[in-house]
Amino acid sequence: MLDSLDRRRFLTSAVLGTATTVVTATAVGAVSPEVAMAQPAFDVEPGGIDPNFAEGRITGIKSGVLMVTGSDNTLHQIYLTSGTSVWKLRPTTMDAAQVGDGLYARGVRMPDGVLAADAVWLNIVNLQVHITSIGKDVLHLDHNGERIVGHVVGGTTAAVYNGTPAVSDLGLLKVGQHAQVLGAWIPDTNEVEIATVFAAA
Amino acid sequence: MRPLDIEPDAPATGETSWFCCGAAWGPCGSTGHGACGTCNSGSRQCAWPNTSDACFAITRPDRCGEDLLRRTCGHTFFVRNLCRTTEIAVKIADCGPQTDLWCGERSCCGGSCATNRIFDLTPSAFSAIGNLSSGIIPMAVHS
Repeated sequence: MLDSLDRRRFLTSAVLGTATTVVTATAVGAVSPEVAMAQPAFDVEPGGIDPNFAEGRITGIKSGVLMVTGSDNTLHQIYLTSGTSVWKLRPTTMDAAQVGDGLYARGVRMPDGVLAADAVWLNIVNLQVHITSIGKDVLHLDHNGERIVGHVVGGTTAAVYNGTPAVSDLGLLKVGQHAQVLGAWIPDTNEVEIATVFAAA
Repeated sequence: MRPLDIEPDAPATGETSWFCCGAAWGPCGSTGHGACGTCNSGSRQCAWPNTSDACFAITRPDRCGEDLLRRTCGHTFFVRNLCRTTEIAVKIADCGPQTDLWCGERSCCGGSCATNRIFDLTPSAFSAIGNLSSGIIPMAVHS
């Protein structure tokens, strides 16, 4: 199995090289972002802008390339392969990316400015909230004074109480309680689908 | 408990999550540039619970038994995921997390565990040492 550095070289070749190289990179298969991100230390100046990272919203998709406008209006082209790790509420594939999605991406910035992505997180949010009410398959949340509707997704949403293993039972959540909600934003709404809610028991 | 500052070769452990700041989309859109005025999701930065008296009054790591030294905006920390060897350098750009809301919380990976949220990373920094979808990771940090 390729180590992370070899994998990076493949991804780099996939962007720069031939179709044959792309097939080779694809054949490697997906790896976890943790493995993909194993990098030499101190690759970026502390406090500095990370050239191998991008955020923004997808404005176009063409031939495996996401056209992304950063929140600071920086334009990014993000190249995906079938070996790119993609998350959208749960681990998924590059086909899940849609125009309008927000994203964070990590990979290798190529000389032409394209980001060859090792990992892409679509619409991911990580919110510190208070639970204001609990309904059937929904949590109403206060996030810095703004109301957020958190949808419970059967088979996906899990709770982690005090760092214990994730469970599907949300029964220990309480109104007024502080929580951390990791989920997928539904674009252009104040709603999220909940992947994991972290809370005290 | 030993104050976290520290000697360069004496890392302390704790939990870290991630937070967005600066220009952003979605629910992060209303987030500003943090207590230091410099925070951006795409930069290698962090939040620290004891950047000022006002910050400490909110985060209260002491209530969890954490004796964290005062470190102000721009201070550099070195942090790594307990399950990885890669270490990154980050600068303080905000106050946080609110440690006392999570006293006793414990995260593990493999056989390595850490307790209490004493650190927060920007998405750029967190994703350099972990998976954003994990939400929290145990980490080691030193100055």
